[in-house]
This record gives sequence, C-alpha cells and structure tokens, in this order.
Amino acid sequence: MFDSPLTIGSCVSLPKPELDRLMAALREQGYQTVGPRLKDDAIVYETVETLADLPQGYASQQDKASFRLMQTGRRNYFDAIPGAQSWKQFIFPPRITLFSANKDEQWHIREADEPAPRYALIGVRACELAAIEIQDRVFLRSDYRDPIYRQRREGLFILAVNCLYPTGTCFCASMGTGPQVQKGFDLCLTELDDVFLVEIGSDLGRIALSQCSFQPASAFVQQAANDGLARAAQRMGRQLDTSDLPDLLIDNLEARHWDAVGKRCLSCANCTQVCPTCFCWDAVDHINLTGTETSRERVWDSCYNPYYSYQAGGGNTRPSIKSRYRQWLTHKLGSWKEQFGTFGCVGCGRCITWCPVGIDLTEEIPALRKEAQS
Amino acid sequence: MSPITDTKTNHAAIHAEKPLHPYWAEIVRITPEAEGIATYWLRFADPGLQARYHFQPGQFNMVYLPGYGEAAISMSSDPEAEDRLVGHTIRFVGNVTQNIRRLKVGDQIGLRGPFGSAWPMQELEGQDIIIACGGIGLPPLRPALYHIIRNREKYGKVILLYGARSPKDLMYPSEYEAWQKADIDVQVTVDRGDETWQGQVGVVPMLFYRFRLDPRQSSVLTCGPEIMIRFVIFEALARRIPSERIYVSLERNMKCGQGSCGHCQIGPYFVCKDGPVFRFDALEKYFNVEEF
Amino acid sequence: MPSQPEVIETFKRIPWFERLEPRHFDKLAEIATIRHVEAGEQLFREGEKEDNLYIVIEGRIALEIFVPHRGRIRIGTVEPMEVFGWSSVTPNVHQRTASAYVVLNSLLIVFNSEKLRQLCDEDHDLGYVVMRRLANVIASRLLTTRLQLIDMFADPSEQKNV
Repeated sequence: MFDSPLTIGSCVSLPKPELDRLMAALREQGYQTVGPRLKDDAIVYETVETLADLPQGYASQQDKASFRLMQTGRRNYFDAIPGAQSWKQFIFPPRITLFSANKDEQWHIREADEPAPRYALIGVRACELAAIEIQDRVFLRSDYRDPIYRQRREGLFILAVNCLYPTGTCFCASMGTGPQVQKGFDLCLTELDDVFLVEIGSDLGRIALSQCSFQPASAFVQQAANDGLARAAQRMGRQLDTSDLPDLLIDNLEARHWDAVGKRCLSCANCTQVCPTCFCWDAVDHINLTGTETSRERVWDSCYNPYYSYQAGGGNTRPSIKSRYRQWLTHKLGSWKEQFGTFGCVGCGRCITWCPVGIDLTEEIPALRKEAQS
Repeated sequence: MSPITDTKTNHAAIHAEKPLHPYWAEIVRITPEAEGIATYWLRFADPGLQARYHFQPGQFNMVYLPGYGEAAISMSSDPEAEDRLVGHTIRFVGNVTQNIRRLKVGDQIGLRGPFGSAWPMQELEGQDIIIACGGIGLPPLRPALYHIIRNREKYGKVILLYGARSPKDLMYPSEYEAWQKADIDVQVTVDRGDETWQGQVGVVPMLFYRFRLDPRQSSVLTCGPEIMIRFVIFEALARRIPSERIYVSLERNMKCGQGSCGHCQIGPYFVCKDGPVFRFDALEKYFNVEEF
Repeated sequence: MPSQPEVIETFKRIPWFERLEPRHFDKLAEIATIRHVEAGEQLFREGEKEDNLYIVIEGRIALEIFVPHRGRIRIGTVEPMEVFGWSSVTPNVHQRTASAYVVLNSLLIVFNSEKLRQLCDEDHDLGYVVMRRLANVIASRLLTTRLQLIDMFADPSEQKNV
C-alpha cells in the first residue's frame, strides 16, 4: 500500500492485475461491474468480473456499415473502440416498468419495490462520458427529474479510460468531447504496456483505489500516457466542422439535399438505438385477460418509427422517411443546442458504423453546407 | 416553464418524485356534445388534491385509462367554476379514447397534470380579441372565454369566429346565446349546411371579413385543424396583426407531457411543455415547413 | 323606384365605394338600385339568364346548386358587404350556375350587368377599378371554395395510409 493519502486529481501507477482487485472491491461495495466483452464478433457491455473477461489484444476497425474485430499484437485490454451498445442501457434501460396497478373495487397503484441496481461502468470513453452528461441534461432538469434515471445515475461508479487508438468512425475531437477524459469520472485509466496510469476523480474513486496496490506515477509513465493521448488526437478517423451549426441546419430545412439522403435512408432506426444520447421513449400498457392487472412499461422509441408522430384522429406529421431523417439530424446537431445547451452528438461514430446503407453525418453536413452556400 | 408564454406548470396533481404516476379521479358527469364527442366532468378521489388542483386556460392533462394508455386532452371547463370539476371534451378516435367511451358516471379514471403553457390572459388585457377556432379547437379555448366573461371589463371587443364541418359537428351550440349576451360577438359558420341550417355557410378564415378591427390593439387566439390555423394566420397577418399577437395551440403525439419522451417536438420546442400555446412569431420559422 | 339619395346613403356604408373617385362613384350610383327582399324568396335560379350583380348590405343570401338524386346543396352563404352574381359581369354564357335563395330578410344593391359593362367600356379607368375589385371578390370566393374542397375537418386517417 502506498503511504501518502490519495487525493482527488492525483495520479498513480497501477499494475494491470490490480484491476481485478479493484473490480472485486467495487463488487464488495454492492456494485455490479459491467464492461466490454467479446461476443458474436463484436464488443458488448455486459457483466465483467476480471481482466480475463475483457477483450484483451483486440481493436475494432470501423467504417461505414462496417465493424470488424482485429487482433493488434498488443496486450492491452481497452484498445477496442466499442460496438453498437452504449452505456445508456444501464441508466436509461431499454425496457422498464413504470408502475403496475391492480383492481378490486378500485384500481390501486403498486409501487415497484426492488431497489435500482448500482453499476460500476468499467472502461467509459471520453465520448461516452460526454454522452452521459448530455443525458443528465435531458433527464435531470429543474422542471422534470426522471426518477429511474436519477436513481441509477446517483448509484453509478465510472471507471473511465482514455482512448489511445481511435478508429475509422471516431470524430470526438471535432465535437470537443475527446479523446481525453477531462471530468465526471471516479477513476480514469490510461493504458500502457504493463500498468494503468490512474487518475483519481472523486472520493468514491479514491476509496475504491485504496484497496489496491499501486505506485506513484513516475514521470516516464505520465509522459508515455500524454504521448499516447497526443497521438490519439491526431488519429481521428473523421472530422466535422461544427462552426456554423446549429444555424446551418435550422436555416436549411427545405434544402434539396434532404430528399437525396431521404431516398437512401431505410428508417431502420439503427442510428437511434446505438446513439448514446438518443432519449426518446414510448409508453406501452399491458393488461391481463380479466382486466384486473395492468402495468405501464417505458421502452426505447425512435423518431424513425413510422408511428412516432402519429396521432389518432390527427394523422401523421412525418410520414416520409426524408422528414424523419431530417428530424433526427436537425435535432441531434441543431435544435438540441437550444433545448439543452450542447450538441446532442459526441462524435462516437456509432451511427456511421451501424447504418446499413452507410449514411455518414460527417458527409451529410458538408453536403448541406455546400448546397446552402451555392 | 414556457419560454414563449411564461407560464409555470402547476404540479399539484403530479408528484415530483413520481411524475409518471396517474392520480385517480371519478367521473361525476358525462355530457354528450356531438356525434363521437362527449365532455367528462372529473373530480379527484383525494379531496386534498381536488382542492389544490388548479389549471389555466389552454393547459391539458394526460388522461389515463388503465390497461389502454393515456391521451393528452385539454381542459374545456371553467377553472374558476364553483364546483371545480375538471372538464375534458373528448373526441373518440383512437384506442384510448374509444375505450373511455365505455366508462360510466362513477367510474375511475387517471389524471396527470396540468401541463403546458396557457393562453396569455394577462397579456391580452386591454386588447380586442379575436378567437378563431374550428371543430374540436373550441374546447381548449372555452376556458379562455369563461375567463374573459368573468373579467369582461378588462378586455376590449371580443369576437368568436367558429366553424365546423357541418351543423351537427358544432361544439357547445347551447352556449352561444349566453356568450352573445356577455358582449361577445359570436360568428358561426359551417363548411356545409344541412336541411335545417339557416346560418352562414363558409369557412372559418373567411369570418375575418365579418368585422372591422384595429390591428394595433388586436390579438388572435386560434386552435383547430392545422390547415385552418394556417389560413386564420394568413387572414390575420393580411390585416396587419403582428405575429407576436397571434397565439396558436398545437397538438402533437404526446406520451409523457413533460418534455422527456421526445414525441411532441417541433424544432426546439416540446409542444407539451413549451406549448401547446405558442406565440406565432416563435413558431413561424418551423410552422410552414412541410412535414417538419 | 328607390330614390337616388337612398342609393347614395347605402353606397356610403361600403368602404370600397367610399374610396372611389367622385366621378366613378356618381356613375355607379346612377345605374344602381336598392332592393328589399324577404326570407324565402328565390332571387334567381340556376340556368336562368339573369344578369345582375348584387351586393348584400344586410341579411343573408344562400347560393345553392341542385344535384340530381341529392337535392339542393347549399354551397355557400353571402353575408353583409359581400358580392354575388359576379359571373354575369364577364360572361361566357349568360346563364346562372347557382341559385340564390333569401335566407334572412335582406337589403341588396343591384347593378344591371349590361349597364355596368357599358360603363366600363366607356370609361376604362372605372372599368379597371371595378375589375380589380371583382378580382378580389373572386379570389376570396375561390379561397373559401378551396378550403371547403380540402375538407379541413376531415379525419386524416380516413383519407390515406399513415
């Protein structure tokens, strides 16, 4: 054990096997440790218990409509840029019961009695952390605080990781969200060959780390980490000029380009499902055969859903795919700013990777810009 | 709080800790209004909540039918009425509302609200007011009419321009005379008449030709099918009423009523919390974009 | 025969007439007549070769078309300050396309269209002013008809797939 007291903001050098002890310590405190795993030729976020569960030696090669895992020849655990899943499934679950009720003479609401799980997220990247903070602004406001989100968010432990090897669809540098993790974490790792450089971000992080065996971070280790980060910032797969956003989108709602991209889009909703900031949801009601038990479930929805804007007796305000694509993009990089103060996009690139027809917003925005300027 | 009309949502009937839970109410009375439309008069089961609950003209509740779901319905009753019953005029069109139709007096129903922005009754004081609405667009304006009648001296000339598809679709015809007596000029038209109709046959936007006004002190409140709203605004702007004094109530698919589920968005606005009442100058940029 | 002073007084209730140059006002006043009609009267019928332009000052006139197997359909009403019978001013065929039925006791200004056309032919300045006014009247009627045609209150789901 290191003798000097750990402080928030300080860095230590953690031998990689100690991460197992860290995860065990978190579990002892009641957290479920979840992190990246290899599954079905992709990276998913599921329960991880030790380093052995992580995708050691793998990286992901991503491009339009393409995700491939490859072995790097390195022994790193956190090189693989994530797949379709994001961390939002843990604080904004894809399906969850809002309440249930049963009827004898009258209906009575039954409260959900299980406490919310407490997750320790292992390996949160800068873009993903930015996405969580963006969702905080959506779900935790003065005029509306979502109780489900709040409970899970308050119980969250974030072990962030700096990206050293961005992939083809990454453009976090353009969005100002990465590749370096700045704030909002409990612990933050930068992975080197044998050790993790660990920065302490909070008391929770400090306490968890105090269970482990670490060394002071040498200047060499710190330099290696900085070099890695500097290289990563130069290695972005894509870039996006945001200087004229959101106005470029809001002022060109009737551009011909929307028709062009509308013809390609399938309205499959992949992009909204993989996007770490998309927050739309629907309420689904269930009832038993005798009409005495009901429950209301919240499920993820998407503005690409053909019935998203459908009103009984009022028709559909966005019947065409073009109108729905336009809604998504003008919201994500346009009106979101007016609503919540930031862009909705963090530059993670998932929408580009997982669009089956390869629509790439880092190309769509320049196309609109070109039409607007002509 | 709406940035447009500066109205605070009153959370009396929703718990900040459980904003998506319904509160139970009893159906006290059902008034058939027209074919496929009836008004449900509700009282909260909890007397404390019933006493605390207060809405402003233009606001809506999420009305919940267990097992079927919720529908966003504007209040159509007088918020200051002595009996304090909460009235919702409901058109039976979808799964939820068509099953509400099967309920009877004494049955239980859920409510969450009141939500949304309100007609700017304070800002309108001193103005001549044109209330231009059609079909089921009159119910969300009726509370505003009641407010005007209770405070008649605070407002200038008040004219109601109302129309429906046909005479049998007119809402609240038994009240027109009382409104006329309260010094409100009531102009009614139908798109098509029937064998007994001796009133006007024409469209609501054209009712702007029925009166003269000074655009410098006139305001417009409008609600109804969006195509009608569009032409009402056209006629108002043609008469030089500025878009800052035209107020529109819009409808969109709503699930949460509180700016969380995303469904009701138009541009940056959530119709459920930044609306449903909008000042037209804020909406202008987005309103006429097809399928936006 | 109603007196000229009555015509002039009635003209003054209409803003458009007030804005006319005096010589134009006088020429129109000379050919106009006032008519009082009672509820239930049939002013003219579809198919008739009636040749008048009317302005409603008070009351209500209904325009109707008879549709075989459906009866008389009231396609619109004409309210105070509104014009009807305008198709007679620039006729292709001298025939009414709709019937005019008096719904409420009404006060009408009546212009014989042939005399009006003659005035316009002789004085093109007046002709221009009159035709412009008629163009506005027709545009307004066309907008009303279009909105009736769109059927603003129809349920969207009745009409096409979502």
